[in-house]
Amino acid sequence: MDNPFETHGLEHLSPSSCNLFIGSPAMFVLEKLLKRRSPVGCAAHRGTSVEDGVVAGLSGSTDQEAVDVAKKKFASLTVMSGDPRKEKEEGAIADFVKMGLSELRSYGQPTSFQGKIEYKVDGLLVPLIGFYDMEWADHGILIDLKTSHALPSKISTNHARQVALYCAARSGNLDARLCYVTPKKVAVYKLENIRQHVEALGTIALTIQRFLSISKDPHELASLVVPDVDSFYFSDPLARQAAFETWKL
Amino acid sequence: MALGINYDSAGNSKSFMGFVKFNAKAGRITRRDRDNGENTDVDITRSFKAVMDVENIEHGWMDFDTGGAPSMILVHNNEVLPAKPSDKHRKGFRIVLKLSKENGGDIRELSSHAASFSRGLDKLHDDYLAGAKNNAGKVPVVVLNEPIPIVTGDGVKKQTNYAPSFEIVGWVKRPDDLQYQPRTASASAPASLDDEEEIPVKRAPPSTGSTRAAAPVARQVADDEDFG
Repeated sequence: MDNPFETHGLEHLSPSSCNLFIGSPAMFVLEKLLKRRSPVGCAAHRGTSVEDGVVAGLSGSTDQEAVDVAKKKFASLTVMSGDPRKEKEEGAIADFVKMGLSELRSYGQPTSFQGKIEYKVDGLLVPLIGFYDMEWADHGILIDLKTSHALPSKISTNHARQVALYCAARSGNLDARLCYVTPKKVAVYKLENIRQHVEALGTIALTIQRFLSISKDPHELASLVVPDVDSFYFSDPLARQAAFETWKL
Repeated sequence: MALGINYDSAGNSKSFMGFVKFNAKAGRITRRDRDNGENTDVDITRSFKAVMDVENIEHGWMDFDTGGAPSMILVHNNEVLPAKPSDKHRKGFRIVLKLSKENGGDIRELSSHAASFSRGLDKLHDDYLAGAKNNAGKVPVVVLNEPIPIVTGDGVKKQTNYAPSFEIVGWVKRPDDLQYQPRTASASAPASLDDEEEIPVKRAPPSTGSTRAAAPVARQVADDEDFG
């Protein structure tokens, strides 16, 4: 059997690529197969920046120093961004970082940050890879940080699968948690049913493999899906234009 | 195998005390706290220390999958096993313990029908019987070491569960509030949960988690005075 991932130039899958396939198969085709990358929005850059700030704070920096790290990161990531939400996100960075640290400082200094994991699924021809945010090996706790302007009351399914994968790849004995941070609130939720969520991710990955096996021509695969251009996946004008050029929609 | 399992009698028990839970799939122990109607699971795996009433371990039948309070039919371990009340009930154990002050300091119950849990509890019971000869009238102070992975099945049915690795680190006078009291109704801790060792039949999507988790607490040094 040919490796359909190889055919389409994919060396691995990740929780985010699996989630992309679930959320918008059309965007998956556009980005992963037709290689037309969409600009990263400021909300995603906010998450990356806040994480850097929180990591700095947990590594010994003061709150203000941690905020400065996050702001600097955000500025560097968005220097060319035309995202209209940039100013709003920039203004909230400090509160995000301080709120995250208010919860996580009590855990002490993590033993590792941004660790790479690799997980093999039976029958899947590429590995699943990812990077966990922070781990306290001495307590057996792994936490992924998520930023949002509204505090969720529970872990989202996509996040559950993502962190369950990290946990499965690291050790079945880890206590996996999601830390949701808003500018005003923070909540750490304990991840449940890790094994089932990992199995679900494996099922999704195998579905992607079957989809890719249909054709070696990415344009033929594109013809099998239709973009929802009102979804946030296509909110950026460049992504919208790419959808129009590909599907004439 | 001091906690033999060849018993065949009946009994009932009821409990509304707080509980700690051993997650056999993860090898971790948590304390369920309830504050203002909100449940919080506090992970105490690394700090776990308690006086455990090993002498009065109860055995019997448990069904955690009731949709409400679990159903338990339990008797003292020196009594014969009750009749199995239904096909859904599985053989399990319950032990009452007093957590160290750093872990909350209150009386809790720990119950499970996971085979890996029973394995760890059985070892603790053996150690208890060996040590009790020289510690008459006292109860053991127990900590939890790294859990022991137990791999079962092959292929898609391969799975890893964990047996708790309890260790007796001392003996103390029995705390006044840790007295064995047989419970007579058929239910146990209303919110208690257990972890199946078998791959469960998928009847509903798996929950993701909405229970708030607290920061970990540090492990303390063994100290007889912790338990009052």
